[in-house]
Amino acid sequence: MSTARRTGTARTIDLTLLVATIVFAVLWMIPIVWVVAMSLKPNSELMRSTTGFIPIPFTFENYVNILKLATVPLWLMHSFIVAVSMTVAVLAISSTAGYAFARLDFPFKRTLFLIMIAGLMVPEQAVFIPLFTMFADWGLHNTHAALVMPRVAVPIGVFLMTQFFRAVPRELEEAAELDHASHLKIFLKIMLPPSVPALTTLGLFTFIYAWNDFLWPLISATRADMYTVTVGLASIQGNFAFSEGLGSVMASAVFASLPIVILFLVFQRFIVAGVAMGAGK
Amino acid sequence: MQHFKFLTRMALATALAGSFASAASAADVNFLRFFGDCQTEYGTVTDVSKANGECGIITVLTNKFNAENKIGAKVITQTAEWGAFYDQLTATYSTGNIPDVAVMHASVMANFAERDLLTPLADGFKKAGIDTADFVPAALKNAMSKDTLYALPYDLHALLFHVNMDLMTQAGLVNSDGSVKLPSSPEEFISMGKQFKEKTGKYFIASESQSAEGMMVRLWESFMWQQGVDVLSADGKTATINSPEALKAAGLIKSIYGEGLANTALDYPGAEQAFLNGEAGILINGTWGVDNYNAQAASGKAALKNYKVANVPTIFGKSKVWADSHMWVMPKDDKRTPEEVDAALAFMKFLNDNNFQWSRTGHLSVRTSVIGSPEFAALPHRGEYAATAENATALPPVQNQRGVFNAMITDFNAMWLTGAAPADVLTAMQDSVDQILSRNR
Repeated sequence: MSTARRTGTARTIDLTLLVATIVFAVLWMIPIVWVVAMSLKPNSELMRSTTGFIPIPFTFENYVNILKLATVPLWLMHSFIVAVSMTVAVLAISSTAGYAFARLDFPFKRTLFLIMIAGLMVPEQAVFIPLFTMFADWGLHNTHAALVMPRVAVPIGVFLMTQFFRAVPRELEEAAELDHASHLKIFLKIMLPPSVPALTTLGLFTFIYAWNDFLWPLISATRADMYTVTVGLASIQGNFAFSEGLGSVMASAVFASLPIVILFLVFQRFIVAGVAMGAGK
Repeated sequence: MQHFKFLTRMALATALAGSFASAASAADVNFLRFFGDCQTEYGTVTDVSKANGECGIITVLTNKFNAENKIGAKVITQTAEWGAFYDQLTATYSTGNIPDVAVMHASVMANFAERDLLTPLADGFKKAGIDTADFVPAALKNAMSKDTLYALPYDLHALLFHVNMDLMTQAGLVNSDGSVKLPSSPEEFISMGKQFKEKTGKYFIASESQSAEGMMVRLWESFMWQQGVDVLSADGKTATINSPEALKAAGLIKSIYGEGLANTALDYPGAEQAFLNGEAGILINGTWGVDNYNAQAASGKAALKNYKVANVPTIFGKSKVWADSHMWVMPKDDKRTPEEVDAALAFMKFLNDNNFQWSRTGHLSVRTSVIGSPEFAALPHRGEYAATAENATALPPVQNQRGVFNAMITDFNAMWLTGAAPADVLTAMQDSVDQILSRNR
């Protein structure tokens, strides 16, 4: 009897959680559905009303106008190059630095770690002007290097990987040391394989950050042929686009988000695993 | 096949971009502007009469210049987002691709002119045949900084009263000649508003009241100028906000909201929607909306059917109204060749010659010869607000004018968003603006 009651209570809790999850998921989805609906409506219609989730009257014109622009593939290519390069560089630097901080002994290790952690507290905007001037002096603006380089040293990435490597059992490393394996070999063969979920999570977040980045590309890539997709799509909007060209703005938002959505769908398993791993720690 | 198409387009785009970046000839004019990109709609069009809106008209004018100029000049357009435009333009001085011609608001020009970042243009205009005597005084003043001409003024975009005549008729606020009856004193403003609300059950005024567009600050500035005082001292070094005139103007705006004559919850698109959906009698917005609202009224799909435009009424004696200008400037670049300068000036001359076309956007022409022309008068509603060109007034040309404006908005909106007293708001505005002005060189 009591077992049956317990089962009943568990079911009620499960059901409540399920309903709550569905409600939150729907609430979370509402703005996205609204954005998509507006992107499929004519601009003149949206000037009168932005309400409603069903795009009537319906049009693909906002998307067609984006796809017709000859420069859009070029902007996509720049975003892709920048996002991939930044992701690879962040993963390489964060994992090697994380391994060093977690496992190696070297002078001033603790001080350097603290300095690295202090980097978390420096807002990005605070270093903008020195960074901009530095890259101008080097003549690097309007290049991929200028778009990638300032973003490859990511303290949170190093911190994440340091914490991860600290949790890897020491015995695995000791066994390899007995076989006279070098640090590089230990890093590549022993430490990296179990860190794939952590690296995947870090890589995905870096890619998303790089893809969505706007402010730095805006001032560094000032030539239209060097725009990334975020800056490029913003540049085609007319003045007062938020009222007179809302459908176009929303279509730009959906269009620019699509690669990220696809990425999420493909790597969903890793993202969930990565976030769960982070929560577990 | 799809992959092939994509790769082909990518290669084409890369080739286009390559030509953009490296094939500059002596007569190329690199043209940086906002107003959007309409290449898909107007990429090959050279007949200006076929173009509409800011983006369409400037795109087709550029195409026409490229097709018809006899000096072999080629304008290469680069668009940038409106909100971030000046950050990007500033960045070009360091990134190395300084445009030959760029758009600039009058309210921003001092930032560039006083840092010696713009090319003086008086001699160039003389050489190119641009007659500055044809510019209306307000526009010419906007193009000058410390007695030096730095810009080709292209329009005056001012605050207007956009009117729903059906609702005004219902409220009994129409004169016997069919024109809209507008107030001429603060008391009349409120009494008319109450009459409107009573007869129609709707808001008298729709205005952006929540966001950074600051329509009510522009109206308040207009009311200050109407009383013969300014917001800043003549030398632009201090704010002159804490004055009895400012209090009178702020008090009127506070009453508009306090009496429930305007909806405090509207942002910019919300105010437009309220007007188009027949929820308010008057929309306070700029010249840039005229053609859009006219098209909406004509479409038959909006509740607004009978649309008219009026100058901002003279409430405090003098006819003055807030205005800014879109202008064309030549950013300073030591590497620019004489041929490139000539080509840029030829493009500016062409734009000036076609100033009428730009006035089709709804903005006011800056040329007296255009304003007085029959073709300008024939444009929809222009006759209803032509006087605005004479009443147009702007803040003194000081650096950080946008910063001043934004600071004023934050404090001013508190009157209806948090119920702050006008006197307290003005004190806060005085402090904020003085702080910003103190940073000027």
